[in-house]
Amino acid sequence: MISNFFVLSPRGDTIIAKQYRNDRGDAGAHERSHTEAFFRKVKFWDDHAPPAFMMPDGLTYLHVKRNGLIFGCATARNVSAVTVIELLNTIARVFKDYCGTLSEEAIRKNFILLYELLDEMMDYGYPQITRTQNLKSCVYNEPIIVDPIGNTSKMVNPKTASASAVHKPVISSVNANGRKSDSSGPQKNEIFVDILERLNVLFSANGYVLNSTIDGCIQMKSYLAGNPQLRLALNEDLVIGKNNGQYGAPTVDDINFNDIVNLTEFESARTLSFVPPDGEFVVLNYRVTGDFTTPFRIIPSIEEVDSKKLEITVLIRADMPANHFGANVTVEIPLPKCTAVASCTVIASPGSGATSAEFIRADGKILWTLKKIPGGTEQTMRCKVTLSQSCTTQIRREIGPINMNFEIPMFNVSNLQVRYLRIAENMVGYTPYRWVRYVTQSSSYVCRLN
Amino acid sequence: MAKGKDGGGGGNSNDSKYFTTQKKGEMHELRMELHATEKHVKVDAVKKVIASMTVGKDVSMLFTDVLNCVQTGNIELKKLVYLYLINYAKTQPELTLLAVNTFVKDSADANPLIRALAVRTMGCIRVDRITEYLCEPLGRALRDDDPYVRKTAAVCVAKLYDIAPELVAERGFLDTLHDLISDSNPSVVANAVAALSEIAESSGKDVMKVSAAVLQKLLAALNECTEWGQVFILDSLAKYTPADGREAEGIIERVTPRLQHANSAVVMSAVKVILSYMELMGSSNIRSDAIRSLTRKLAPPLVTLLNSEPEIQYVALRNINLIVQKRPHILENEIKVFFCKYNDPIYVKMEKLEIIIKLVSEKNIDQVLLELKEYSTEVDVDFVRKSVSAIGRCAVKLERAAERCIGVLLELIQTKVNYVVQESVIVIKDIFRRYPNRYESIIATLCDNLDTLDEPLAKASMIWIIGEYAERIDNADELLDTFLETFEEEDPAVQLQLLTATVKCFLKNPEDTQDMVQRVLDLATEESDNPDLRDRGFIYWRLLSTDPEAAKMVVLGDKPVIEDDTFRLDPGLLNVLIGQIATLSSVYHKPPEAFVVRRAAGISADDDEEDDDDENYEDGDTGEGDLLDMGGMNINDSRGATASVYETKSPMNKVCGAEKSNGIEVYAGFRQVNGTIRMEMQMNNISSPAEIQGLAIQLNKNSFGLSPTSQQISCNPPIAPGSSGIATVELVVTPNMLAPQSANQPASPQVQIAIKNMQTGTVFYFAVDFNLEALFSQDGTMERSVFIESWKSIDDRNELYGTVSDIPPENLDIDTVINKFKANNIFFIARRPVPNAEGQEVVYFFMRTITQMEFLAELTFKQGVTACKICLKTENSSYGLLAKQAIEYLLRDF
Repeated sequence: MISNFFVLSPRGDTIIAKQYRNDRGDAGAHERSHTEAFFRKVKFWDDHAPPAFMMPDGLTYLHVKRNGLIFGCATARNVSAVTVIELLNTIARVFKDYCGTLSEEAIRKNFILLYELLDEMMDYGYPQITRTQNLKSCVYNEPIIVDPIGNTSKMVNPKTASASAVHKPVISSVNANGRKSDSSGPQKNEIFVDILERLNVLFSANGYVLNSTIDGCIQMKSYLAGNPQLRLALNEDLVIGKNNGQYGAPTVDDINFNDIVNLTEFESARTLSFVPPDGEFVVLNYRVTGDFTTPFRIIPSIEEVDSKKLEITVLIRADMPANHFGANVTVEIPLPKCTAVASCTVIASPGSGATSAEFIRADGKILWTLKKIPGGTEQTMRCKVTLSQSCTTQIRREIGPINMNFEIPMFNVSNLQVRYLRIAENMVGYTPYRWVRYVTQSSSYVCRLN
Repeated sequence: MAKGKDGGGGGNSNDSKYFTTQKKGEMHELRMELHATEKHVKVDAVKKVIASMTVGKDVSMLFTDVLNCVQTGNIELKKLVYLYLINYAKTQPELTLLAVNTFVKDSADANPLIRALAVRTMGCIRVDRITEYLCEPLGRALRDDDPYVRKTAAVCVAKLYDIAPELVAERGFLDTLHDLISDSNPSVVANAVAALSEIAESSGKDVMKVSAAVLQKLLAALNECTEWGQVFILDSLAKYTPADGREAEGIIERVTPRLQHANSAVVMSAVKVILSYMELMGSSNIRSDAIRSLTRKLAPPLVTLLNSEPEIQYVALRNINLIVQKRPHILENEIKVFFCKYNDPIYVKMEKLEIIIKLVSEKNIDQVLLELKEYSTEVDVDFVRKSVSAIGRCAVKLERAAERCIGVLLELIQTKVNYVVQESVIVIKDIFRRYPNRYESIIATLCDNLDTLDEPLAKASMIWIIGEYAERIDNADELLDTFLETFEEEDPAVQLQLLTATVKCFLKNPEDTQDMVQRVLDLATEESDNPDLRDRGFIYWRLLSTDPEAAKMVVLGDKPVIEDDTFRLDPGLLNVLIGQIATLSSVYHKPPEAFVVRRAAGISADDDEEDDDDENYEDGDTGEGDLLDMGGMNINDSRGATASVYETKSPMNKVCGAEKSNGIEVYAGFRQVNGTIRMEMQMNNISSPAEIQGLAIQLNKNSFGLSPTSQQISCNPPIAPGSSGIATVELVVTPNMLAPQSANQPASPQVQIAIKNMQTGTVFYFAVDFNLEALFSQDGTMERSVFIESWKSIDDRNELYGTVSDIPPENLDIDTVINKFKANNIFFIARRPVPNAEGQEVVYFFMRTITQMEFLAELTFKQGVTACKICLKTENSSYGLLAKQAIEYLLRDF
C-alpha cells in the first residue's frame, strides 16, 4: 500500500510525517525534500492539483485538502486510489475527533497522540483500526484541547471545512477511559443528528430549472455513554429508486449506508438500527434528482438603457413556507471587465435582516448580502452599471452567472424525515438529549444570464 | 544514515561553543530525566525526546537511556518508547539491534498490545540479523489467542517476505496466512488477504491463488469484514477467473450488495468485480437479461460517487471514463449528472467534459451544446479551450448535429476572444477533414480572424484549410503570402503546413503562384536546417519538376476520413484497465507495468543488472512490439519442417538464420521440466567472430504472458566459431507480459524474442511458435463429475473439431496414449466404447494451463484406422486452436 503519510501546513511545512516502508531504497534521508517538491507541485497547479499524480521520484502522491491542510501520502505500487483517498479522509476525520478541531495548531500540540494514532491506524501502509470508537482501546495519550475558534479561523477555508453542525470540541474525555472503565462519569449524554441537504440547482435566464440535485446525508455525533443501541425511523412511505414510486411520496434516487447499520427492518418499516460509534459519522447518504421545489427562485433582468449604461435587476423569491427563512445569504453577480461605475440599491421587504449590495472592484462582481430572507417574501436588488465602452454581445456575455449561497435552518427540501430516534438504554437516571436538526445548504445554486 | 549522526552530537562542528554546550546541556538534562524514578517525569522526558526527534533533531545518543525505560509495566511509557524505537528502526537499524532482547521478551508479554507492538516493530527493522530473532515470535503471534496480535502478525509476514522471502517459505508462514483467511476475526481476515495479495504482487508468484475453497472463505468473510478488508477481498476476487458464466453470476450476486456501501473504495472495487465477471457471462438470451439488469444496478452507485468529496469524484470520473467506453449503456441516460457545477474544482470539470463527449448522442446534443457554450465563457482558459474543442468533437462524432455545432463555433468566433478563436479554428479543421466539401461557406468568417492567430497549432490548422480549399478562396495566394513573410520565425509545424499549402495552391492555380512556390521551396531546402522541412521540400521540388500530374495525385489525393476515435483506448488496453478499476492504473489510464517500477522483491540482485532490467523493460513496453516488430520475417511457421537436431521433446525449429544474427543459427523449442517452462535453444556458431558466451534475452509481450526469469543466458561451455551448443532459458508467466487479446481471434502462438550477443554487441530478433503443451499444469486433474458438468456447460460454439491422420501405429494403442499424454500433463478422465459402432472408442482428456485456462478434449479412435477424431471444448476459445495443435502434435510425433 502506501509508503508514507504526511500532513503539510498551508505554507508547506511538514507537521506530521510517518514512513511505513522503504520504496525508494535510501533510508528516508531525503524524505523532507521530496515532500517539499510535492508541495511546490501542488502550488504550481494553483491549488487545483489533481488528487493523484506522479512525481519525478517515480512515486505517486495522493492527497486531500482539509481545512487548508494537506493530508498526503506516496506510494510506489499500483494501489487502489479510491482506497487511499478514503483512508486519507478517514485519518483527517479521526484527527478531528481526537483533537476537537482540525488545525495546524491542534495537530502540532497533539503530535504524540497523533503518531500513536497513526501507528494503530496503519501498519506497513495498510489501514488497520480506523474507527474513533475502536481506537480508544489502544491509544493512551490524552488530547490537548486547542481553542477551536481563536487561531484557527484564519487558516480554515470555509469551502472545505466540514459542514458538521456541532462545533464543540469532540471526544474531550474519550480516551481517559481507554480499555479500563466505562464512561459513566458526569458527562452529558447527548446525541446530535443532522439531516443535511446540499442543493445543486441551475436556472436558465428565464427562470427555468435546467438541472437540480440534492446531495443529502444524515450525520451524527454521539456523546452517549455506554454506546446504547439506536433505532432511527425514516418516513414510512420513503421510495428508493426513481420511477417506482407513487405520486407524492418522498423519493430518493439512491441511498447508501454506513456498514454499522443493520438494515433488516429497512425494507419493511424504513427503520435502521445501529450502535453509534463515538465521534462524527455518517449514517447514510442519499441523492435526489429532478422534481423538487427549489427554495429560492432567481429572476434576473438586464436592460440596456443606452449604449454604455445597463440596468441589472435581480429578484429573489423565497418559495418555502413562511415559518422558515434563508440565512447568511450572499448573491454574486460578475460584471464585465470594462465596468466603470456600478451603483446598487436594495429594496428589502419586511422581515429581512440587514441587507446590502455593493460592487467589489477587485473581484469584478456585485456582492449582495442578506442576513435573512423569510419564506414567501421577495427581495430585489437594482444595479446601474456604466461601462467604459459601448456594450456589445460579448460584453453582455461577461455578466453572470449569478451564484447564490445560503443556509436554511430546520428545513429540508426532499421531505425525508426522521420519524423518531429511540435510544435503547433503560438505566435509571439515564436521560439522553437528542438534538435533531435539519439544514439545507446551497452547494452550487446558479442562474445563467445567457 | 551517517549524516543524521553527526548532525546532533556536533562536537567538532563549526557551531559556536555556547550553542554546543547548550545542546549538550539539554541532552544531559533529558538523560537525567529519563533515569528519574517518578513515572510522570520519565513519561514527559520520553515525550520531549520524541518531540525533538520529529522536528529533525538527532536524539540517537539517548538510545540506551530511552531503551532502559522499556522495562516498565506502564503501557503508556512502553508505547512511547516503541514510538521512539520504530522511528530509528528505519533509519538506524544497527542501533535497534540493541533492543532485540527487549523485543523478544515483549513478544511473550501478558498484554496483547505489547506482544503486538513487539512484533510490529521488529518487522520494520530491515536487517538480516533481526529476522533470525523474528521468526520464532512471529510464528507464535500468528497463532496468538488475541486477534489484535494475529492481525499484526499477518501484516508482519508481508514485511518479512520483503526482507527474506526464503524464510517465509521455510517457516510455512504462507500456509498460516491462508488459514487466517477463515479466522473468526474480520480484521485478521482483512490483513491476511492484504498480506497474501501483496506477496503475490511483489513476487509474481500466485500465492493468493483463489481456489474453490478459498473462494468460499472469501465470500463468507466479505459480509463480516471491515470496510478495508472488503476492499482487499473484492480486489482478490477481481483477479480470479470464474470457471463459467454461472459461477460468475453467483459471485456477482454476492458482491452486488456492496454497491450500497458508504465507503466509495468498497463500491469501486465491487464495480470492478462485476464488470470483470460480466465478460464471462456470455451472451445468450437469459444471460443478456441478467446483464441488462446488472447494468441498471450499476448506474445509481456510480452517479452517487459524484456526490463525494472532489478528490473521490476525480478518481471516480477517471474510472467512469473507462466504464462508458466499455459499456456505454450503463450511463447513457445520465449525461446531466456530468454537467459541470459552478464550484467544481478544475480537475473535476476537465474529466466531466471528457465523459460528456463520450455520452453525447443525437438525443441530448442540444442540451450538451447549450452547456458547452456556457462553459466557453468561464474564466479558466484551459477549461474554456477544452469546452470549445469538445464542441468540435461532438460535430465529428454526430453527423446530424455537425451543422448545429458549427453554428455554435461560429458564434464563439464572433466573441473575438483570442484563445476561443484559435481553439475553434483547430477543431474546425478536424470538422473539415471529417466532412469534406460540406461547410466551406464558413471559410470567409475564418479568414476574417487571421490576425488573431498567434499559436502554432491554430496557424497550422488555418493554413491547412487555406491550402485545401485554395480554389474557393479568392485571395488564397495573398493570404499565404502574408504568412510567408515570417516563414523563418515560424514553428516547424507551421513551416511544414505552409510548404504543403503553397504547393497545393500552386497545383490548383499555377499561373499566379509560380514565384511563391519557388520562394517557399528555396526557403525550405536552402535556408532551413530542419531536416523534415528540407526533405519535404526536396520531395515536392522533384515531384513538381519531373511529373506535375503525379504531384497532383500525391499532394491533392484523397485523405482518409477521420473518426472520433482520437481519445478512445485500444480495446485490449481497455480490458486490462477495466480489470484495474479503482487503482492508480485506472487513474492514469496506463497498464500498471508502465508506471510501477519493478523491484527485485527481496531477492538480492546486483544493482547494475536491475537497472538494465528496468531499461529493457521500458523499451519492450513501448508500442506493442514496435521494437521487436518482425513484420514478415517469420521464417519457419510449420512445426517440424526442419528435422529435430536435439534429442529432447522440445520441437526444435530453426528460428533464426546466420544472416540475421551476425553468424549464429538458432533452433528453438519449448518444453516443461518439473513444472518449469523452458525454452531451449541450440546455437550453431556459423561465422560469429567471437565465442558465444553470454547472451541477454528479452521477450516481447505474447499471448501467454511468458517472460524469462533472468535476462542473462550463459552458454557453458562457450560456443566457439564452427561449433554448436545449447542454451536454456527458464520462463515464468506474468500477467504483465500478456499481450492484449481480442476475444474472437485465435491467439497467436508466436513469441517474439530479442537476443543480444554480449560479446559482439549484436542484437537480433526472431520469433518462435510456442507449443501449448509446455504450459499445461501438473495439477490439471479434474473430477469426472466436474468434467461432465463443464463439458455440458460450454457452449457448442466454443467447440473445435478435427481429424489427425497418419498417426504412427504405436500411438494407436489407447493405453500408450494415456500414459504419454500424462507425461505431458494432459490427464485422462474417462474412456468408453461408442455404442452401435463396432471397434470405436472415445477417450476424454483434460488439461489446464498454468494460467488457469481449461481445455476438455474428446478423442475418438477406430480400430485399424491410423487416424483419430478430436473434439475440443474450452471457454478460452482463442487458445482452443493451440491446444488442439498440441494434441495433434503429441499424437503424431512421440
